[in-house]
This record gives sequence, structure tokens and C-alpha cells, in this order.
Amino acid sequence: MTGGWRALLRLLAVQGTWNYERMLGVGMGYAAEPLLEDLKTVDPVRHGEAVVRSAEFFNCNPNLAGLALGATARAEYEAVPGPQIARLRTALCSPLGALGDELFWAGLVPALVGLALVAVVFGAGWWAIAGLLVGYNLIRLATAVWALRTGFDAGMRVGAAIGRSWIPRAVARVGPPAGLAMGLAIPLVAGWYLQGFGGIGIIGALAVAAAGAAVTRWFGPSLTSVRFALLAMGLLLFFRRAGL
Amino acid sequence: MSTLAPQTALLLVVWGTLVALDLVSVPQALISRPLVAGTVAGWLVGDVEAGLRVGALLELFALDVLPIGAVWYPDYGPAAVAGTALAAGAPWELGLGLSVGVALVLAVLGGWSLRQVRRWNARAIQRRGAALAAGESGAIRMLQYGGIARDAARGALLTGLGLLLAWAVARGVRLDRETAVGLTLVAIGAALAAAASGAVRSAGRGRRLRWLAAGAAVGTLLAGLR
Repeated sequence: MTGGWRALLRLLAVQGTWNYERMLGVGMGYAAEPLLEDLKTVDPVRHGEAVVRSAEFFNCNPNLAGLALGATARAEYEAVPGPQIARLRTALCSPLGALGDELFWAGLVPALVGLALVAVVFGAGWWAIAGLLVGYNLIRLATAVWALRTGFDAGMRVGAAIGRSWIPRAVARVGPPAGLAMGLAIPLVAGWYLQGFGGIGIIGALAVAAAGAAVTRWFGPSLTSVRFALLAMGLLLFFRRAGL
Repeated sequence: MSTLAPQTALLLVVWGTLVALDLVSVPQALISRPLVAGTVAGWLVGDVEAGLRVGALLELFALDVLPIGAVWYPDYGPAAVAGTALAAGAPWELGLGLSVGVALVLAVLGGWSLRQVRRWNARAIQRRGAALAAGESGAIRMLQYGGIARDAARGALLTGLGLLLAWAVARGVRLDRETAVGLTLVAIGAALAAAASGAVRSAGRGRRLRWLAAGAAVGTLLAGLR
């Protein structure tokens, strides 16, 4: 695979041109350029068509985009018909989005952030920050290398390769640690902030928390947690100014 | 808010730009998480404790966000930088509420600015539609660099605006002790509500919910023992 490392580096910026029309498409085209370089000398016409296809609409979790990138680049070298490659890209959007979001955004990130918050409460300070950054980036970079290689090796059979891989198993396993870490973190962080405030302060903060959880659930997306916080702060300032 | 030297303000803008880029464009290394952004900003202004306190509280709000696809979400990175600059140099019990309030306003503004950048990216792509259809690699590169440059400009402007807002609030807003403490308690309560809502929602009704409950029980016990 020529240009693999350059493609890998460019994948780190795959969302650099994120937009509501092609989503990751242009970023994928940018990352595909080094992989398609050899095709330019072998078959310049095919290379031009491949570049066009590489920048068309695409969306998935950025950490798994290498699977689609490698697979479609391999398919271009194997002279697979263009419409078939376009269908492969389209077919990969949903599974790579769902698996990647579940694994990274809903699993790994809350798990590591939860652990970092627990570590901060226990006085780890910078070590907590370093642990979060090193832990996450080791996993996501290793995943990116694996994804690009697996995609390129599998080509049009990338769907089967994903199904056989560690990804579906990891998705199934990451939920409980994420839940545990967040469950641990929330009361510990609450105690860390509230320990110096005395009974009335603690009861007041917990009452705001209960009201916030209930009200944001009741109103749904029209009253997000941020809007609730700003509203509650505004009300407090208003009542204090009114002398209440 | 401690008085910021021009070079410190510049460093904060550079750091805010990097964390704004990290959220979506490049490299998504989690430096945009408010816990990281706030702590480093605290170090830059000479008050790591303020950065940790502001960052951890905003992190609880950020745990309510699942950044999937085209969903809209606040940008907490530059917000944590400006919030930390405002909180620095004061006892956190008094400064945290106001700082987090300012940071939340900025985070919402950051989310809005992210949508504008996405629209500008789409317009740039439309303008280069012919070159893209002709398979010009140079056009793809220019679009990519343009998109990243727009996001960097967004981050720099947002952080600069945040620092200005923090400076104006520090100079213009005078709160008595009870109000300042009240704001801090409200901010803590609202952040706990956000984190709990996010945790329960992402847990669903399966095994993860049971682990969440177990973690909460152990966490409550540990918090009580500390």
C-alpha cells in the first residue's frame, strides 16, 4: 500500500471540510490522494474517475473512516466498476457510523472521561489529564492503522472483514465500563464540589440537580441542560436583585 | 479575573484555536474536552486549580452530548478557556458560577458558529463543483485547507470574544458573596443534572444501566467516606 502513512495522517483531518452536503466526502478525497497516486501512472483516466468518486458524499465515524478509504482504494486498483464502488461507499456509511459512534463517542470517551474525573477528585491533577489523552489517542491511532490496513486488504469484501473483526465484540463490551465510570464519577465530582458548602448549600445544589433532570426530561430538546442552567442562573440573579 | 498580560492573552487565543479545531476538524485528540482545555488554560494563567474546577464542571455538561453526524452541540473548548481566565485568581467557590455562566453562553455561540462554518464549507464546495467533477486533486486540497482555516478563524474569534467578555464581566459585574455562592451552587446542580441525564440516556435499559447504578452506589459511598 503506497502512501499509507500519508493517508493515515490525512485521516486525522478527515472532518476538516465537514458540511451538510457531502459531510466527510471532501476529507475522504483528501485522505485518498496519496493512496491513489500509483494509479495516476498506470491508468490516468481511471485515476481521474477515482478522485471524483473519492470526494463524493460520505459519512461515518472518523475513527473508522480508514476501513472505507482502504477498501475503496483497493477496489479502484482492482478496476472494480465505478457504480459498484459508489454503492460500497454508500453501504458502509451506516454501519461504520453506528459501530464507531457506539464504540468511541458513547463508549470509550465517557469511560475515559469518567475515570479522568474520578482521578481529578482523588488529586491526580495533571496525571488525570495525561492519562485521558494518552489512553484515548493510543486506542484511536491503533484503530486507525488497523482500519486502513484491513480496508485495503479486504477491498470489496470489507463488510465481511468488519463482521469478523474485534469491532462488533468491542462495541458489545464497552458499554458496562462506560456506565460504571460515569456512575462513579458523578457522585464523586458532586462531593468534590459540595463538601465545603454546608447542609443548606448541598441541599440547594441537589434540588437544582433534581429539578434540572426532571425539567429537561419533561421538555425534551426544547430545554437542553445548558438552557436550563442559564435559565436557573438568570432566575437567581433576578430574585437576588429583587431582594428575595 | 487576574490581569492578563498581552502574551498570556495571545497564548490563550492560540490554545483556544487549537481546541476549537480539535472538536471536529483536526486532530480530534480530545484536547477539546473542557477538562483538558480548562486545565491547560489554568496553567497558562497561573491557576491550575481554577482550570480544573471550571473544566470539570463544564465536562459534566459535555457528558450530556453525543456528537453524532449532523447533530448540533455546544463547543465547550474555547468556552472552558475563557471561563478559566475569568475564574483565575479568585476563590473558586465565589468565581465558579459566574465563570461557568459566561462559558455556557460562549459554548452555545460556539455551536452556532460551527454550523456557520459548515454552511461556508458547503458554499465553497459548490463554487469548486466543476473542478471536483473534473477530478482535480488540487481543488480537493484547497477545499480541505480552506475548511480547516475557516474553523481555525472561528476558534480564534470565539476565544478572543470570550476573553473580552470575561474581561468585561470581571470589570463590570459586582456580586455580593451570597449571590456569587448561589450562582456556583446553581451551576453545580445544573451540571450534575446534565451529566446524570446524559448517563441515563446513553445507558438505555440494558446491562449498562445496571453498571451505571452500581457505579453510582460505589461513587456515593466513596464520596461520603472522603
